Amino acid sequence: MGLTEFGHFALISAFGLSLIQSVVPLIGTARHNMQLMLVGPAAAISAAVACVIAFGALVTSFIRSDFSVALVANHSHSAKPLIYKISGTWGNHEGSLLLWILILVIYGAVLAISGRTMPALLKARILAVQGMITSGFLAFSLFTSNPFIRLANAPIDGKGLNPILQDPGLAIHPPMLYLGYVGLSIAFAFAVAGLIGGDVDRLWAKWMRPWIMAAWCALTLGIALGSWWAYYELGWGGWWFWDPVENASLMPWLAATALLHSAIVVEKRGQLKSWTVLLAILAFSLSLVGTFIVRSGLLTSVHSFASDPARGVFILGILLVAVGIPLLLYAWRGPQLMSVADFNLKSREGALIANNLLLVVATAIVLLGTFYPLGLEMITGARITVGPPYFDATFNPVMGILVMIMVIGPVMAWRRGATPRAKTTLLAASVSAIIAGVIGVALVQDIAIGAIGAVMLIAWLAMGIATDIWTQLKPLQRAGLASRWHRLPTEVLGMWIAHFGIVVFLLGATGDGLFRSEQVVRAKPGEVVTIAGRDVTLVRVFERQGPNFQALTAELEYKNAASGKFIARLMPEKRVYTAERQTTTEAAIRPRLGGDDYAVLGDGDDRIGYSLRLYYKPLISWIWGGGVLMATRGFIAMIGRRRQYAVTAPLPDNVARDTA
Amino acid sequence: MSRFRPTFFIPIIAFLGLVIIGGLALQGTLSGSRNPNQLPSVLIGKPAPDVPLPLLKNSRAELALDAYRGQPLLVNFFASWCAPCRAEAPALEHLSNQISIIGIAYKDRPQDTLQFLEQYGNPFVAIGRDDDGRAGMAWGVYGVPETYLIDPSGQIKWRHAGPLTRDVITTQLLAKLAEMQ
Repeated sequence: MGLTEFGHFALISAFGLSLIQSVVPLIGTARHNMQLMLVGPAAAISAAVACVIAFGALVTSFIRSDFSVALVANHSHSAKPLIYKISGTWGNHEGSLLLWILILVIYGAVLAISGRTMPALLKARILAVQGMITSGFLAFSLFTSNPFIRLANAPIDGKGLNPILQDPGLAIHPPMLYLGYVGLSIAFAFAVAGLIGGDVDRLWAKWMRPWIMAAWCALTLGIALGSWWAYYELGWGGWWFWDPVENASLMPWLAATALLHSAIVVEKRGQLKSWTVLLAILAFSLSLVGTFIVRSGLLTSVHSFASDPARGVFILGILLVAVGIPLLLYAWRGPQLMSVADFNLKSREGALIANNLLLVVATAIVLLGTFYPLGLEMITGARITVGPPYFDATFNPVMGILVMIMVIGPVMAWRRGATPRAKTTLLAASVSAIIAGVIGVALVQDIAIGAIGAVMLIAWLAMGIATDIWTQLKPLQRAGLASRWHRLPTEVLGMWIAHFGIVVFLLGATGDGLFRSEQVVRAKPGEVVTIAGRDVTLVRVFERQGPNFQALTAELEYKNAASGKFIARLMPEKRVYTAERQTTTEAAIRPRLGGDDYAVLGDGDDRIGYSLRLYYKPLISWIWGGGVLMATRGFIAMIGRRRQYAVTAPLPDNVARDTA
Repeated sequence: MSRFRPTFFIPIIAFLGLVIIGGLALQGTLSGSRNPNQLPSVLIGKPAPDVPLPLLKNSRAELALDAYRGQPLLVNFFASWCAPCRAEAPALEHLSNQISIIGIAYKDRPQDTLQFLEQYGNPFVAIGRDDDGRAGMAWGVYGVPETYLIDPSGQIKWRHAGPLTRDVITTQLLAKLAEMQ
């Protein structure tokens, strides 16, 4: 038996194991039979082992360039660097689906191993729901997208991998994104298990929150990586294109962000239970829709490397079952979870509800902007785009209001009213917002309304967080800074970091949006172009041979326009990948904290000159820095779980209050 | 103790609606019939809307469609932020040998539009700026790109939403144009 057949066999075993995992524990919960319930963890762990073997077998075929495997022959090439042979495993539909499944079963196994103190019934039900999702996707893989098909006649060499996917950023972007998408399946399983058992309570939320946090962090990093990749690889100088595939990852992120916040209310206050359940279902459903959009070829986009409508039918089936049944369950059992609201709208709960509503509206806006062109195409056959103007006019204002609430929420008290520090914080934030607005209007000519808004919001949020930190940490008479720091709940620390990540992100987005410079020119070697205080000389354009491509490279010399001092040498390229017969543009970027120099080489020759696109993009790298900072929130949460046991002293005002 | 509440059915109903749309679209893709007839515009057979627009290269002057009376005219809504418009650019360039084309830059910044033209070519005899999309509203534009054929008397004869492909040009546009002459 060859390695490939062994992998195939492992995948079939995993399918059998997940079927057992979906059925047996549920029978156990119905009969209150502990033995049957314990089959769940065992099956989950075995399925994970089987999938690791299957995935390992596939990766090995790619590393060995075993072209007798159809998938390897179609998507790899012997001349490819090793890292891209490995990443080529998930640079195609079948392989990326297997990766999706691998992550799903690993999540399941981690849940099976951890959570020993978790309520047994809840855990059994969660694992059963996980098993059902896994079975569905394994069936999808085995019956429509089998990665282990052999070729009768193995070709001498492979067809290669789409060159724009041959990139380190893209080697890790899909796994990270999948970690996020798939992580939401655990929250989904919690929601469905809660609906089945009717036991959605504070403990339920306490167990669920770390999983949402993990998924959210991975999703944040995944989206940031994708945006970064688009920035340096596509050569358009932008970092977000409102492309359907980008929107597909943004929607679950927005829903997960809402879920992250509503779960706090369930855990601390036992309120918003049915809403949180619905959000958990929604977040994972949107992950599935995300998979659906990318895989089915329904929407065309720059990412349409893995489209195949026939598979869409299967995904639509999975969607129908995986989303439809929980929503039916919700319609039937949801009303049981309702509790009498015991809070004013002017409270921490009220602010979190506003957060949730705004995030859901934002999700709906993105959903509409993504599917409206699809609906229109159905009726008229026209491929049109609503593009950034639509999102700028709808999405941005909603997010703007959300940023306003980000300062208000944390200084409100649970149940009703505000904390004593609210007045100081709001005053400081307002003053700084007004100052920033005035400075913005004074310094920037013809500043757009949206830009003033962005500048004011950044100042508002930054000052809001700073004042919140100050009022909570400033040494009082007896308690010193160290003692206050020690008693500070890690959750508050995590919130500051995540919210501060938004400030950093907004600085990047606004810096690039407001102050970027662009030059599109046609230049002959020796000519000088001036951009953002730099003299850029096109020194020469030459051809060079890469490992599996041929390149036309421009040598650009950047000098300070005023002092003439040398800044950098940038080498943008146009590449032709010989095996794949595809052309890509490789932008040359000089990334700095203050801003990026970005150069793209277009068509031309020495006689008529070359078309060059030069950009200076202030603060742009802060966009991804902000994303990383937000994701750091997850690590803080992990540390927090350890710290929780160490801290027994009473906590500062906001937390002490909710137990009162 | 389960209480029946209609509001809890909203999510499932909304979801089923989306599934039906997705299913229909998929069916269209699968059966290869996803190029059904054009949605008829209510404006067909009517005079082209007269919305004053500043010119891209001289914002004090206005775009006057009347000046082009007596010849067939193509009006193309485009934008620099629109990816299909890039795909359509060569087709427009080619068409500009046969017919005068007016461009209307839809919800775009002038400097971006100029760069777009620099990069993808300028097939237009004149370009109007529809910064706030008011003209688009009057014309009933779905999105960009969208193209209208206007006859010598100034009436809209044909519209096409989405990029002009070789197929659309040969089977529809050129036929309509021939009818006119």
